[in-house]
Amino acid sequence: MQIGTIESVWRYPVKGMRGEEIPHTYTAFTGLMGDRIYGVVASDGDPGHPWHTGRDQEEFVLYKARYNSGEELLLPKNLDATYDEWAPGIDPIYPDTDAFKVNVETPEGVTYDDIEDPAFIADLEKITGRSLRVHVTQRGQFDARPVSLISLSAAAKLGEDLGMEIDKRRFRANFYVEWDDQDDPFYELSLVGKTLKIGDCLEVAIVERDPRCTMITLDPDTAVATPKLLQHLGRNHGGDAGVFAAVLQRGRVNKGDPIFLK
Amino acid sequence: MSSSNQSDSGAGSPADATVQSFRLTLDSENHIVPIAAGETLLEAALASGIDAPHTCTEGRCGTCMAWLRNGDVSMASTRALSKRNTERGYVLACQARPSSSAPIWLDFDL
Repeated sequence: MQIGTIESVWRYPVKGMRGEEIPHTYTAFTGLMGDRIYGVVASDGDPGHPWHTGRDQEEFVLYKARYNSGEELLLPKNLDATYDEWAPGIDPIYPDTDAFKVNVETPEGVTYDDIEDPAFIADLEKITGRSLRVHVTQRGQFDARPVSLISLSAAAKLGEDLGMEIDKRRFRANFYVEWDDQDDPFYELSLVGKTLKIGDCLEVAIVERDPRCTMITLDPDTAVATPKLLQHLGRNHGGDAGVFAAVLQRGRVNKGDPIFLK
Repeated sequence: MSSSNQSDSGAGSPADATVQSFRLTLDSENHIVPIAAGETLLEAALASGIDAPHTCTEGRCGTCMAWLRNGDVSMASTRALSKRNTERGYVLACQARPSSSAPIWLDFDL
């Protein structure tokens, strides 16, 4: 039964920095290819969550990170072959390391061609007063689960409740979705424990609600904080917005793909 | 007003606290909240039936962040506070315990 549609697909080349909308993606057991490949680690960070993010420096959400390689990082080249000839499917080959190189533009317009350029970290350390380093892995470093999802209706309802426009990008999801024929704007919260098929191949288990933190208080275009959004979530929705998913069957996902409840 | 990590030493340690109640502002309403020794400001607020914002109660999410307009508190964890919010005088109610006899005013209307 189709229950909705993928409104947009997003990934975040650098954990905590601005994300990028992409037309399609390959979603592996470890999440979307190219999602949260880089992170900035703080030596004085919490041992359990040492990442430097907008929680520490609000303007970090305004940093723009882009892959130099462009489309090479959207889909593995041998993706179709791994499905057609090797049941039940072989993990495709990811692009070579160079394809994962990321350039970063600061809110002030300074561009670093490679985030691993020591000048980037040196300048960020000057701004923040923290001891920092760049960490990289090709398989992503999300906080809790490899895939996150939230509906446009949830963002819209929260905005309605608060009397302000709530930009969906505050929620930093991989998949923004539109539900069909749903009176419940937070319908995704009821899907915990259910399995969804997205597009032709991807299957995900919705494993838990997404407990939110101060990151959602930050306007993605200005980094201005609106704490009342998080307060409202805490007082009315248990602090949750959107859901996390675990991948059961890998696959390509396109903007506009149907979502089925299995 | 001031806040500090509980590991800090010197004046303002929890043992000095003699505050028996504090002022809390939420939704433009003021409340006088009794607080027992060892309680956090959030625990005291909830015990008084106030719908104070909170979720994790472990200092991680930042939902209970509020402005300490007056008074002194110590916090076991400040990990959900950015440098800017710390400089603004914001505290985490779930972590904040009175650390002096100065009157406390906690304002959730950020």
